[in-house]
Amino acid sequence: MQQFEVLVVGGGGAGLRAAIAAAETAPEGRIALLSKVYPMRSHTVAAEGGAAAVTRADDSYAAHFADTVAGGDWLAEQGVVDYFVKQAYQELVQMEHWGCPWSRQANGDVQVRRFGGMKTERTWFAADKTGFHMLHTLFQTSLKHSNIQRFDEFFVVDLLVNDGEINGVLALEISTGELHAIQAKTVIMATGGAGRVFRFNTNGGIVTGDGMAMAYRHGVALRDMEFVQYHPTGLPGSGILITEASRGEGGVLVNKDGYRYLQDYGLGPETPLGKPENKYMELGPRDKLSQAFWQEQQRGRTGNYNGSDVVYLDLRHLGKDYLYERLPFICDLAKSYVNIDPVTQLIPIRPAVHYTMGGIETNAQTATSIRGLYAVGECASVGLHGANRLGSNSLTELLVFGRLAGEEAMRHARTSAPEMDQTKSAQTLRQWQQKLQTLTASKASGVTWVQLKRELVQTMEDGCGIYRTESGLQASLAKVRQLKQQYQQVQVGDTSRAYNTDLLQCLELEFCLDVAEAIVLASLERRESRGAHQRLDEGMTARNDQDFLRHSQVFFQSQADATLTWQAVDTSLSTPGERAYGAQGQQSEAR
Amino acid sequence: MAYKPNLQRTWWLQHRFFRAYMLREATVLPLVFLLCSLLAGVYSLTSADAFIAWQGFMAKPWVIVIHTLALLASFYHALTFFQLFPRVMPIRLGDKSVPAVVMIAAQWSGTLTVIALFLWLFGGGL
Amino acid sequence: MHKEIQIKRYLPEEHAEPFWQTFRVPYDETTSVLGALNYIKEELDSTVSFRWSCRMAICGSCGYMVNGIPKLGCKDFVRNYPAALRIEPLAHFTVERDLMVAMDEFLQHLEAVKPYLIAEPSEPHKPHRQTPAQLAKYKQFANCINCGLCYAACPQFGLNPEFVGPGAIALAHRYNLDSRDQGKAKRMPVLNTHDGVWSCTFVGFCSDVCPKGVDPAAAVNQGKVESAKSMLIQMFRGGA
Ligand SMILES: Cc1cc2nc3c(=O)[nH]c(=O)nc-3n(C[C@H](O)[C@H](O)[C@H](O)COP(=O)(O)OP(=O)(O)OC[C@H]3O[C@@H](n4cnc5c(N)ncnc54)[C@H](O)[C@@H]3O)c2cc1C
Ligand code: SF4
Ligand code: FES
Repeated sequence: MQQFEVLVVGGGGAGLRAAIAAAETAPEGRIALLSKVYPMRSHTVAAEGGAAAVTRADDSYAAHFADTVAGGDWLAEQGVVDYFVKQAYQELVQMEHWGCPWSRQANGDVQVRRFGGMKTERTWFAADKTGFHMLHTLFQTSLKHSNIQRFDEFFVVDLLVNDGEINGVLALEISTGELHAIQAKTVIMATGGAGRVFRFNTNGGIVTGDGMAMAYRHGVALRDMEFVQYHPTGLPGSGILITEASRGEGGVLVNKDGYRYLQDYGLGPETPLGKPENKYMELGPRDKLSQAFWQEQQRGRTGNYNGSDVVYLDLRHLGKDYLYERLPFICDLAKSYVNIDPVTQLIPIRPAVHYTMGGIETNAQTATSIRGLYAVGECASVGLHGANRLGSNSLTELLVFGRLAGEEAMRHARTSAPEMDQTKSAQTLRQWQQKLQTLTASKASGVTWVQLKRELVQTMEDGCGIYRTESGLQASLAKVRQLKQQYQQVQVGDTSRAYNTDLLQCLELEFCLDVAEAIVLASLERRESRGAHQRLDEGMTARNDQDFLRHSQVFFQSQADATLTWQAVDTSLSTPGERAYGAQGQQSEAR
Repeated sequence: MAYKPNLQRTWWLQHRFFRAYMLREATVLPLVFLLCSLLAGVYSLTSADAFIAWQGFMAKPWVIVIHTLALLASFYHALTFFQLFPRVMPIRLGDKSVPAVVMIAAQWSGTLTVIALFLWLFGGGL
Repeated sequence: MHKEIQIKRYLPEEHAEPFWQTFRVPYDETTSVLGALNYIKEELDSTVSFRWSCRMAICGSCGYMVNGIPKLGCKDFVRNYPAALRIEPLAHFTVERDLMVAMDEFLQHLEAVKPYLIAEPSEPHKPHRQTPAQLAKYKQFANCINCGLCYAACPQFGLNPEFVGPGAIALAHRYNLDSRDQGKAKRMPVLNTHDGVWSCTFVGFCSDVCPKGVDPAAAVNQGKVESAKSMLIQMFRGGA
């Protein structure tokens, strides 16, 4: 197979944007795009709410910056945030020029909506299918570039690294079961998040942290992994997301007594029905809302739906016409999956794992510690989100940093001549062939990935949920490590080569296990409460800048337990302040 | 290694939807017969004998049955056609598209007007 | 509650021919067809292969024939089938294993219609203006999730795999209707051919099975009007 200049792993929003940028940087450049599913199946497709950028005349970069940094509880890299807010608008305009069907105002200008944690309306949206429209627009636009060679349904299993420099990837062609060593001067990881490490989540089945684990196994740090965002409004049972936009449009949350309980948790005073206000009540940030659910649950004020504790989202006052225009997908989802008509009924909801703030550590230019290896999108930690991501920042992140990664990688490829170690690649290939053969050798039913996966997601929920304790985390860490041991005996029931999805899910579980260890270890070591990471242990329930205004970095150790170090945070532009919402937020701002 | 089932000749018997489609397409058969009959009528105008023979033919019960069928078929065809029309030629007035039911109703009222006109012209009033 | 579910299996590495296999699956009010398949894979037979991801009817992976009708597995529920439930791979595509079909056959058609905005933006740093009415003109056709159900519903595609097909034509039409687009002249040649819009006999089943209300049949037949216009124009130009 030929050698590529830029090889992108992942066909979601980040991967496609990177591939297009690389193609535009060098119209004759050789670019490969590998994805384990057809690009338009990537989980970006599920994003509903919107993408943020400073748009209105009464808004400013400084305001978007402040919201993002405070939202991330001062753990964001401020230089990165600064770059991001300044590039955001142009990237959304670029999407518009590629045909993205953004929702409009009557005069034809782009419409912006409110979003949790954002002080001003600055979220661009395409009805309630923003991610879907963005992904399809990007995919379709990528078809214009004949120098992007797609490898659809190629499952990347490993990176080819030679002496701290990338050489390419090792990929399993799903339709044949054949392994290919594909050479490339640069590789961009854009493999998405790891929500499936948890039992109850809003993510698709493919969101299993593959890219994070691959880079991690080659010595790149996973940074800030303890910060896992719960979305306050998932449907019970499936975890299917009910977008935050439903609250932005005026939906309210009530407990089993019909009481708007958020006012009891520092988000009040209650805003009048139909008059949502940014950063108050239902438009507080996600971590606060999810935590409030947990508190209500402890107080026995939650309702029940098919065995799940739930609170309720009330959209009835918005009226049928408005709901069908602004939130048609939500109406459809509620009808199909919980048999509820939001026009006349309350939607039962509960928090669900949604987003991994942490990921493959990169610098502000998306480069990792391996030369020629870049990472972007949800799999990466460029430092934008800190301890908690604000909704609608991540879709824009895919564009801003996807473009940057594509340009940087192509430029690097054109100015460097990495040494390609063919023998080493061939050796890695043989090792993997051996490994896959062993896994699929016999139909013997030993340990299966199904059992191990169930135990993994259960222990993650038990010990590493919305609120965490020392003992719970210790137990989960021990459990995850035990599961990693058991995985050594795992067997795949399906012995065939073509479309062996049994094998794929087994490999995904292995990625999940490594990522899970990093998440639990970082959660255990961060003995404070910040953003999405909340500890109940004594002395750890508040933010502690003295000791923990630092990023965690977890490093893989091949035969031993993972290790953790701390890294300074860039706070050069804004000194850490109090993170408050509702009336409290107003006061602290006035001060 | 792969397989691809061939579409069987009887594919259209498989479900109701396809049968309804085939029925719509089949409406053309009695209509063809009607048109041929009318053409023959026009041709028969050249001689009195031929015209009388044609009248006899038109009065045969089975011919009447087929022509009645043709009438029903044309109604059925109109029904399906009118239903499809708003989707092929959507009409927008400002922000809103004209609802399909309105367009279908308009088409039917047009049809009824034409029928009434014919009855008035040739039937000597309603 | 339990249900007998039959699956049309195809394991080319073991058997030359497809065969039917029956499973007994527990279900409740909320069990989707995809949920049942996942139960089978995890509990009964891990070799059963099928595509899925989002489980919320938006990624377009999980198209199967359920009792002979193309459906999204994650948006079709076991409760809808009081009698038997038979799952087969999507019709009219080449089957490569179990419920896995060669989706490339659809993607090729998609790529052929140039489904992207063709335009020179007049102002690189500003969005175009597009009124809600202009957006509404094409919006429905932009909702296609590329699931391929309409291809499995289209007998003309079954008879002639070269037919560009409902989904791809809907997408071409979506861009043709977009007030920002100037690429219609480039797309029409593909639609004007026999394998373009003119293969369609307006069976209309494609729109019935479409899970997203795209109404591809409408797109194809509006496309016929456009095609007739564009061919007339060409005739006059050619004659002059
Ligand atoms: C339900 C939901 C709603 C959301 N709503 C919003 C919102 O309103 N606003 C917002 O800003 N953010 C939102 N987010 C977050 C945002 O959508 C995601 O963070 C973002 O889409 C991730 O994009 P990505 O390109 O990084 O990854 P993905 O879109 O997940 O793509 C990952 C790609 O990597 C490929 N891949 C993975 N592993 C491998 C492998 N081993 N080999 C080959 N390929 C591989 C996959 O095939 C896929 O193509 C939402 C998220 C969810 C789950
Ligand atoms: S038009 Fe409808 S049925 Fe056809 S591919 Fe698109 S979403 Fe699927
Ligand atoms: S699994 Fe995504 S559409 Fe069904």
